[in-house]
Amino acid sequence: MARSIEIERLSPLAQVYRAGPHGNFEDGVGVALSEPRPGSIVQLAAWPGEERRMIDAIRTVTGLALPDGAGGGVSEGGKAAFGFAPGKFTVVDEKDGLAAAFAKAITPAIGTVTDLSHGRTVIRIEGPEAEWVLAKFFAIDFSLAAFPLGAGRSTTHHDVFAQIQRTGPDRFDVHVFRSFARSFWTALCHGSEEVGYEVA
Amino acid sequence: MSPRRTEQGGRIDRARTIRFTFDGAAYSGHPGDTLASALLANGVSLFGRSFKYHRPRGVLAAGVDEPNALVTILRGEAREPNIPATMVEIHDGLVAESQNRFPSLSWDVSAVNQLAGPLISGGFYYKTFMGPIIGPLKGTRFWMVCERFIRRAAGLGRAGTVPDKARYERMNAFCDVLVVGAGPAGLTAAKAAAEKGARVILADLEPRLGGSANWSGEVIDGKPAAEWAAAAVNDLRAVDNVRLLPRTTVWGYYDGNTLAALERVSDHKQHPAKGEPRHRQWTIRAKTVVLATGALERPLVFPGNDRPGVMLAGAAERYANEFGVLPGQKVAVFTNNDSAYRAAHALKQAGAAIVAIIDVRADISADMLDFAGKAETEMLPGHAVVAAEGGRKLTGIKVQRFDAASGTVSGEPRSVAVDCLLMSGGWSPAIHLASQAGAKAEWNEALQAFLPPKPTQKWTGAGAFTGAFSTDEAIEQGHAAGLAACSAGRDHFDAPAIEAAPGAPGSEPVFEIQVTGKSFVDFQHDVTAEDVRLAHREGFVSVEHLKRYTTLGMATDQGKTSNVPGLAIMAAALGKAIPQVGTTRFRPPYSAVSIGSLAGERHGDLKPERLTPMHDWHIANGATMYSAGLWWRPQIYGHAGETVEQAYVRETKGTRGTAGIVDVSTLGKIAVQGPDAAELLDRVYTNMFSTLAVGKARYGLMLREDGLAFDDGTTWRLGEQDFLMTTTTANAGKVMQHLEYFLDVIWPELKVTITSVTDQWAGAAIGGPNARAILAACVEGTAVDNAALPFMGIVHGEIGGVPVMICRLSFSGEMAFEVYCGADWGTHVWETLMEVGKPFGLVPYGLEALGTMRIEKGHVTGAEIDGRTTARDLHLDWMLSKKKPFVGSAMMDREGLVAADRLQLVGIVSLDNRPLNGGAHIVEQLDEENPHGSIGHITACCYSPSLGKYIALALVEGGKARHGSRAFTSDPLRGRFGPVEIVSHHFFDPEGSRMHG
Amino acid sequence: MLITCPYCGPRDLSEFTYQGDGNRQRPAPNSQDLDAWNAYVYDRQNPAGDHNEIWQHSGGCRIHIRVVRNTLTHAISSAVPVRGHHGGKA
Repeated sequence: MARSIEIERLSPLAQVYRAGPHGNFEDGVGVALSEPRPGSIVQLAAWPGEERRMIDAIRTVTGLALPDGAGGGVSEGGKAAFGFAPGKFTVVDEKDGLAAAFAKAITPAIGTVTDLSHGRTVIRIEGPEAEWVLAKFFAIDFSLAAFPLGAGRSTTHHDVFAQIQRTGPDRFDVHVFRSFARSFWTALCHGSEEVGYEVA
Repeated sequence: MSPRRTEQGGRIDRARTIRFTFDGAAYSGHPGDTLASALLANGVSLFGRSFKYHRPRGVLAAGVDEPNALVTILRGEAREPNIPATMVEIHDGLVAESQNRFPSLSWDVSAVNQLAGPLISGGFYYKTFMGPIIGPLKGTRFWMVCERFIRRAAGLGRAGTVPDKARYERMNAFCDVLVVGAGPAGLTAAKAAAEKGARVILADLEPRLGGSANWSGEVIDGKPAAEWAAAAVNDLRAVDNVRLLPRTTVWGYYDGNTLAALERVSDHKQHPAKGEPRHRQWTIRAKTVVLATGALERPLVFPGNDRPGVMLAGAAERYANEFGVLPGQKVAVFTNNDSAYRAAHALKQAGAAIVAIIDVRADISADMLDFAGKAETEMLPGHAVVAAEGGRKLTGIKVQRFDAASGTVSGEPRSVAVDCLLMSGGWSPAIHLASQAGAKAEWNEALQAFLPPKPTQKWTGAGAFTGAFSTDEAIEQGHAAGLAACSAGRDHFDAPAIEAAPGAPGSEPVFEIQVTGKSFVDFQHDVTAEDVRLAHREGFVSVEHLKRYTTLGMATDQGKTSNVPGLAIMAAALGKAIPQVGTTRFRPPYSAVSIGSLAGERHGDLKPERLTPMHDWHIANGATMYSAGLWWRPQIYGHAGETVEQAYVRETKGTRGTAGIVDVSTLGKIAVQGPDAAELLDRVYTNMFSTLAVGKARYGLMLREDGLAFDDGTTWRLGEQDFLMTTTTANAGKVMQHLEYFLDVIWPELKVTITSVTDQWAGAAIGGPNARAILAACVEGTAVDNAALPFMGIVHGEIGGVPVMICRLSFSGEMAFEVYCGADWGTHVWETLMEVGKPFGLVPYGLEALGTMRIEKGHVTGAEIDGRTTARDLHLDWMLSKKKPFVGSAMMDREGLVAADRLQLVGIVSLDNRPLNGGAHIVEQLDEENPHGSIGHITACCYSPSLGKYIALALVEGGKARHGSRAFTSDPLRGRFGPVEIVSHHFFDPEGSRMHG
Repeated sequence: MLITCPYCGPRDLSEFTYQGDGNRQRPAPNSQDLDAWNAYVYDRQNPAGDHNEIWQHSGGCRIHIRVVRNTLTHAISSAVPVRGHHGGKA
């Protein structure tokens, strides 16, 4: 099913997405919140010993050179990839069709490809107070030293599973389950009121 | 200027005035004041009434250790009780009330309890309210009758009843070094660690960082100590790797160097900024911690030591030096150590007259005598205060000659007229956090104090916390601790020069002046020295028991002032030394924590919830939503004027009559992929999946390792190595973990990937006689007839231009199909189906109709797969493969699991035409007076439109054998009794002719 | 309590699920030895001291971890993946 679908995809945030400044924004906003809505989100899993070939496949399909090491990742030109568990990677592309492309490149001997383009919602938070706001929700260290550029982390806010990738010095893409997205967005907006936020 | 406000000095801004009210009266103060300091400056001496005896109480302390001056703060309708006035920063519009008084603070009717004193001694509640052994008020029932009256008379503030609208937040932080306490030791430690590049958090419970430097009157580095501290704070504020947390109480030290801290973000503001929380609950994971929490002064125990006007010496010094307030004009000092002399000097300098210094020690050092001389006071060495007199304010004290060695008084008591008495019973390092972190505190004889234990977690101590009471030592230790905390070696340290008052550490081991009269140990819980001795006479020897029996140290102040004196008195009664008696282990919290801050954002609208892709459609189309775990699902799509039962009956009839559609997106969906996917499924399901053809689905059952039923669902083979497993909504997470456990721990050799794809797919189940026609009218790219789509077949096609996957399976018992598409297209596909289905009479239905149809069909869900039933109990033994072992196969045939009298699934029909209740018992003989003899219970019930009867599923002993027999429902809780018939659980279309079409 | 996940690093206890005594030995799938199955399903050691436990990092990377935890002090002396992966390195 390589052809693209004409029907518009409905974001789970549609009902609550209100562009403009909010909260304590009069003296400038601390964070900008947005929904990048990538065309593709794919999860890849390599069998033990096949991690290198998986990383090679990611480079072949996306051009992204994934660094070694737990949670290593990279983000450039509308594409992003990061490790979120041993041998497992999340790859994002602003365009459709990534799962089909990987299905061709990754043989059963290397691992598996799982399309999650509809199943995960990416919420972007960017700005000088991004670390501060995220720290209200997640018990992980967001400092640049502990959470380098491009890296990914798997964590939880209460029952909300999240994969978080640092896609800029003060920018994070938070991947949450689609069903939780509205609830999490609402909580994130609430937590951002203190520093002032702008919905792009 | 207020009567007690000094002309100058202190860290308050006299140029600005703040107005507030206390018990309805208007007062003013200045920025930098606490409620306690502002009220003292206004000449207020009476702050509250005591817990049991309703004795008038003033202010004892100046900080977090305050046991007496508890107030209620009102914010609009919300009220927060039991806040120490010493911890409340005043702001314009602050409204505070005193507590535990009726009708007013100065005229309190319950003060008569003072006369009944001997009746309300230690263990009073236990003894009095353990009622008679027999009769209507036997045992604790008597207590339950009396409790509400006692709670009203005795107690602290009254909690509010309106919802608290304030915002509370949680915050996570990570650092290399957490410094707790921002006195000279803490400031120096933070500076040393920060200079080495460490990430530092410096927290202090006071609004003004600096600790003792703010009131010591010492000179550090040629500057007044307070200025030195302010400069140090500014230096720390200027660097990026330090976070300062004033107004932040570190209240818990947990495993893994995880600490809990409460930041009072906006309590001190009249109007918090937009989005600003009231409290922020910090969870701090620190690589190392520097504990520089200082020390707390102890009261002396003597008759009348609780009178308003009797105050800790250090507190008075602080009021004078930090707040510019004189707690009295004619002041006496009563001490067992040197530190109180400095306080006397400070008050003298601030303008008070020091009438006398009464010291239990006979030998006073030359330094102290010199001090006393400067304070122009009468020295009374070898004396003790034996009474403090006055009602709402102190009028005088009685002093007698005292021998510290024997603890006896002699000679004639002499009266001294004073309006304020400062006392000091020595200092206890604030070791609470170190104690929480593990290990036992150690008694130091020379200092007469418990010192911190040897660390079992990663912390170092500095300053008075370690028993080093001089600023010199504090700064030296702070520097060393700061370096040690970031593993830096000792370097050259230019310690600042300090001009401090002389004085030796330690105190005379005198805790109580044992003469007749009420001498308080625990001020907040009204526990006297005599109560402690009474507990001993009644046989309590362990401190833990003593504490609970007398409630010593169990008030909101957690015994900050009372712990050591209480122990000392207990030890004396036992004839033992203090270390032999030991101390209780401190537990979190160090001081009271708001419940709101613990709840954080997890309440109301901010609670996490899961919505299906079609959620907004359901709302827009009149659905009543029902919470199923975290999910919200349509319960019914009610029409105007319909009851719930009428709505689900209509929806059920519509589905069985024409067609119905239900949102099944919440079903757990797990992608099972990889070369060994089929092998894994064979091992975890009771039936075979490796034989399943691609493009087909199969109903599967999983057992637990112990052989009991675990979960059921259909699994679809989408490809040779690609399965889509569905689970019940409730068990999705558990099944996922079950599979992951086996793959990781038991069968690591299997190459299978498990991924939750619940959210990837929107799902709609469409069923009924017209269901196929509706699909035929809108599905493109595939046929949906019997040949192309047989029972349990899967096809791929498009609906409304969107790719869909359709599986023909049935939960309702009708010819039915589950239609799955990408979640973002879910509403589009659903709306297309609704539109196309309109001429076919398609109705949306909710959970109630779904439940009704499954009960009619006798399908099981979590109500029957309840963790106690086996496959056989549920008549699913046909699914237990004999060709292979599977999880649970070895254990499922154990004796108890195959017994004939096990509860088995049956159907129940109400014979009196009245509704049945879930959870109701089934009995053979009805006995409404004395319900007994349960043979099982109802798991699910409904009105069956297909049968025209109230029916239920039930688990009943020996189930099948009872088919066709009469029994009764017995539900004493809801008063529902009546005849039922036990039947097969297949109520409707047992042959399945409808779904096979 | 913190557990150091071999993949994610130190994380809060709330991200983990206890998955039982790590000393359990599952009999061979075909085994009919009920005593062995009984021991596997029901028997648990309860040592005062080091205990071999299995935890899942359910709120993170979801791997299972073999943890040696002292039941008296809560000190964790070892935390290694149950499976053979090592930090996603090639």
